[in-house]
Amino acid sequence: MKRRSARLLTLLGGVAILGAACAQSTPTASTVTVTFWHGYNPEETKVFNEKVVAAFQQAHPNIKIQAQAVPYDTFHKKLLTAIAGGQSPDVIRADIIWVPELADLGALVALDTAMTDFNTYSSKVFPGPLSTNQFKGHYYGLPLDTNTRVLLWNKAMYAQAGISSPPATIDEFTSDVAKMSNGKDKFGYAEGGTGGWNFLPWLWTFGGNVTDDSVTKASGYLNGPDSVAALTWFVNLYKSHQMGPSVLGGDPHTDVGYAKDVYANVLDGPWMVPIFKAVYPSKTVDLAPIPAGKGGSSSVVGGEDIVLFKESQHKAEAQEFIRFMLSRQTQVTMGNIGQMPVLSELAGSPDLPSFFAVFQQQLKTAKARTPSPAWPKIDDAIGTAVTLAIKGQATPQQALDQAANTIDGLLKGS
Amino acid sequence: MTGAQGRKAAIYGALIGGAVLAALPLVFMIATALKANVYIIETPPQFFPTHPTLQNFVDAWSLNSFGVFFTNSLAVAISTTILSVLLSAMMAYAFARFAFAGKTLLFYSLLLTLMIPGLMLVIPQFLLAKTLGLLDSRQGLVFVYIASSLSLNTYLLRAFFEQLPRELEQAVQVDGGGHLVIFTRIVLPLSTPALATVGIFTFLYAWDEFPWAVTAINTDANKTLPMAIALFQSAHQTQWGLVFAASLIAIVPVIVVFITFQRYFVRGLTAGALKI
Amino acid sequence: MASSRGARAVSLRGAGEAALPRPLALGRLLGPRARGRLTPYVFLAPGYLVFATFMLYPLAKALQISFYHWQLMPGRVSQFVGLANYAAVLHDPISWVALRNTVLYAIGTVPTQIVLGLVVAILLDSIVRLRVFFRTLYYLPVITSWVVVSILFKYVFSSDAGLANYVLHDVLHILPGYIGWLQNVPTALFAIGLLGVWKGVGWSMLIFLAALQSIPKEMREAAAVDGAGTIRSYTGVIIPLMAPVMLFVLVLLVIGSFNVFISVYLMTGGAPLHQTEVLLSYMYHQAFDYLDFGYGAALSYLLAAVIFGLSLLQVRFLRREVEY
Repeated sequence: MKRRSARLLTLLGGVAILGAACAQSTPTASTVTVTFWHGYNPEETKVFNEKVVAAFQQAHPNIKIQAQAVPYDTFHKKLLTAIAGGQSPDVIRADIIWVPELADLGALVALDTAMTDFNTYSSKVFPGPLSTNQFKGHYYGLPLDTNTRVLLWNKAMYAQAGISSPPATIDEFTSDVAKMSNGKDKFGYAEGGTGGWNFLPWLWTFGGNVTDDSVTKASGYLNGPDSVAALTWFVNLYKSHQMGPSVLGGDPHTDVGYAKDVYANVLDGPWMVPIFKAVYPSKTVDLAPIPAGKGGSSSVVGGEDIVLFKESQHKAEAQEFIRFMLSRQTQVTMGNIGQMPVLSELAGSPDLPSFFAVFQQQLKTAKARTPSPAWPKIDDAIGTAVTLAIKGQATPQQALDQAANTIDGLLKGS
Repeated sequence: MTGAQGRKAAIYGALIGGAVLAALPLVFMIATALKANVYIIETPPQFFPTHPTLQNFVDAWSLNSFGVFFTNSLAVAISTTILSVLLSAMMAYAFARFAFAGKTLLFYSLLLTLMIPGLMLVIPQFLLAKTLGLLDSRQGLVFVYIASSLSLNTYLLRAFFEQLPRELEQAVQVDGGGHLVIFTRIVLPLSTPALATVGIFTFLYAWDEFPWAVTAINTDANKTLPMAIALFQSAHQTQWGLVFAASLIAIVPVIVVFITFQRYFVRGLTAGALKI
Repeated sequence: MASSRGARAVSLRGAGEAALPRPLALGRLLGPRARGRLTPYVFLAPGYLVFATFMLYPLAKALQISFYHWQLMPGRVSQFVGLANYAAVLHDPISWVALRNTVLYAIGTVPTQIVLGLVVAILLDSIVRLRVFFRTLYYLPVITSWVVVSILFKYVFSSDAGLANYVLHDVLHILPGYIGWLQNVPTALFAIGLLGVWKGVGWSMLIFLAALQSIPKEMREAAAVDGAGTIRSYTGVIIPLMAPVMLFVLVLLVIGSFNVFISVYLMTGGAPLHQTEVLLSYMYHQAFDYLDFGYGAALSYLLAAVIFGLSLLQVRFLRREVEY
């Protein structure tokens, strides 16, 4: 009898726990709730909730923002599942890479037609980040925060080689890099990988392109003479032991190598400055624009856009939130925790950390990666080409021919 | 030293050596958790941090409503374990003691699901959960976790039940007692080792499960621990000390459950061991 | 045991009908035969209902997806393509690389986990003090999360002075230089396999230990006392008794090894050039990075078919040796 009642109790306990789990709060009828998914880390989330969301709700008492922090690595998968289940949120802070794909799926609202004052906002932001929202002639969002890669030049190693200032042109860069490499454990340059994010700044600086302007084909562009010249130059750096092992995934990583005076030049984004302050306080981070080549000084745009879902039941309120996120006040608040603003009026602003200036300068000429829903596979093709060429398993021309062929097929399919 | 003592020393030596290997990465994890500002893990590895600090543990707990996530995980894991063990014990009993139409088919249908990667079921499960109104809720997690753990649990328990001597059950049946009595008063009490084993495995699974949790849960109030740990990883600046500290906090309940229930393993799974 | 059996029988005999719980009294109304026929289904129903709803139905749905060029957006029509996805998988060279890597991983990690698990279990069985301590310690890797240990091991196998290189080169001077573990396919697979073994040994150890301790003490002691012939007595007596457990562990470890995913995803991401992909990591890429769910579903069903075939083979061929 004892055992049975014990078991019954356990059963009841389990049911009770379930029951407690069932309790849910009921929403108030008068306010509208807008769900917003973001990938901010805990510190960023804290500031976002306390300063931005609170300020918005004060200004708009009838709109409640339900801001959800979603783990960054699984954001994409969770989003796709939600869309498949008809459960997409109202607004998200989307990686710029996802926007063409989501637009192609038909999940997003074309903001340029839905927002009556879209042009007011689109004219206030940097063109590069804005272009990441473009797909088949429409804009499906607005940029929210941006970043790009600039040259981090190792003052100590430059001084050792007798060079006092960073290179302004590719030719200067090439000769500087050669001077600072010793073929064994000191490299004039290091890159973190072979994908679009890593290689495209150089491709564009050399005057090359991945596709034509209308994004219909890559042949003639990705394997055109300027692009091949870029890859040949890149491969030569590696072959002459002037590029570090990090490009193929080896250690040290670009940031560690920079800190330890193993790498003289790396490309990186604005987040590195606060990280270095915390981890390597004695090592200064010196920034410069990417050296200019045939195509000028060109870098790659990163960052996030804010997009609105077609499924949203509260599009008007969601747009209010979008406007607020693009206001000067919000952009400065988020800028001070590392989210670089997209408003061009804030370029060089004293309200922002001073090191933003170089990045904002670079952003004026930075380009977006190919706006196609097939971007992950395109990125893969580019990465494969660069890897094969570096490893000597194909000539730059061959590797790029193969990649261009693949990308043609991918673009045709979309 | 006598031969027996020498052998004893060798055995302990081997065990300690193996234990060191098993524990080494974990020691490294603890060492990293005790360092501040670990955005980049140092090479060569530092096992003894120069300025150890507990700040990561404090931050892990206070940032991000960790306490709520912890409670959610506890509630979900306990409910899942109790219900899954109960339901699978019932099914195992049916398979072990009865002959009925469709028995083989039903049993093998259970085993079949062990072979499909759970990852592929996420989207259909999501659609289903949405239809049933189970999204963004802890019940939704519990139902799916129970369903996923039933196969293995039933399989293990069935093998165990089949080993149990039937004399006791026959005695009850002669006495006029039905199967419910046999089940609750004879079979379950005799199966504590197997139930404990199955219970631990289920608890561990539910505690650590991540893919379904992150897909189904949106609101902070319902999030579980693995999600909390994942939230410490951001796009560019993951503070690894924080992540490891959070993971170490998350391991503690499992260790407690394990130590509490492991004495049941000692009693063994009866003579004859497990049979397929 | 015999005396308690008797005691229990006595107490039950005295119980009488009044002690019978209500549901059974109800069952009597249905008549003994009907009740008997229904009972197994009654026990089966709750669990199987949950199972069928949340596992079998999604399984069927995933199978359906594998026959379509599946559209993610609700409202868009998916195109039926029959076996085209399966054909695509079979024609994709990366699928075969993934299969090869998965098989290599299984071959490398499963026997190792069985042997090491058995050895540790035997060692633990023969000591008395600190057994709980050691058992917990060896089981700790099993309870860690795959995500965290994968990241940990990524740093262990760093091509700079990570733990592995540091110990092998700087401390023990076995290696001439640092190895780029995760940059080359063979060493990367080795590192991933080592993680798998490290994380899994505790599990098989636990099961073997439980099985060992259910073998009558006299038999184990006899084997232990027999000085020089211990190994022989173990292989001759103890191991055959453990054979059913070993088969069970083998089947489960094979299934588990074919499901390896997170460690590959986080340690190499399939790189370089998709050459370290395993079946699940490739399936994830296809489904969630490239949005080709039909392909992903087809790949997962082909994977399931392989696992099923292997499990069947193992049971059929090894069971004969196990039963005597």
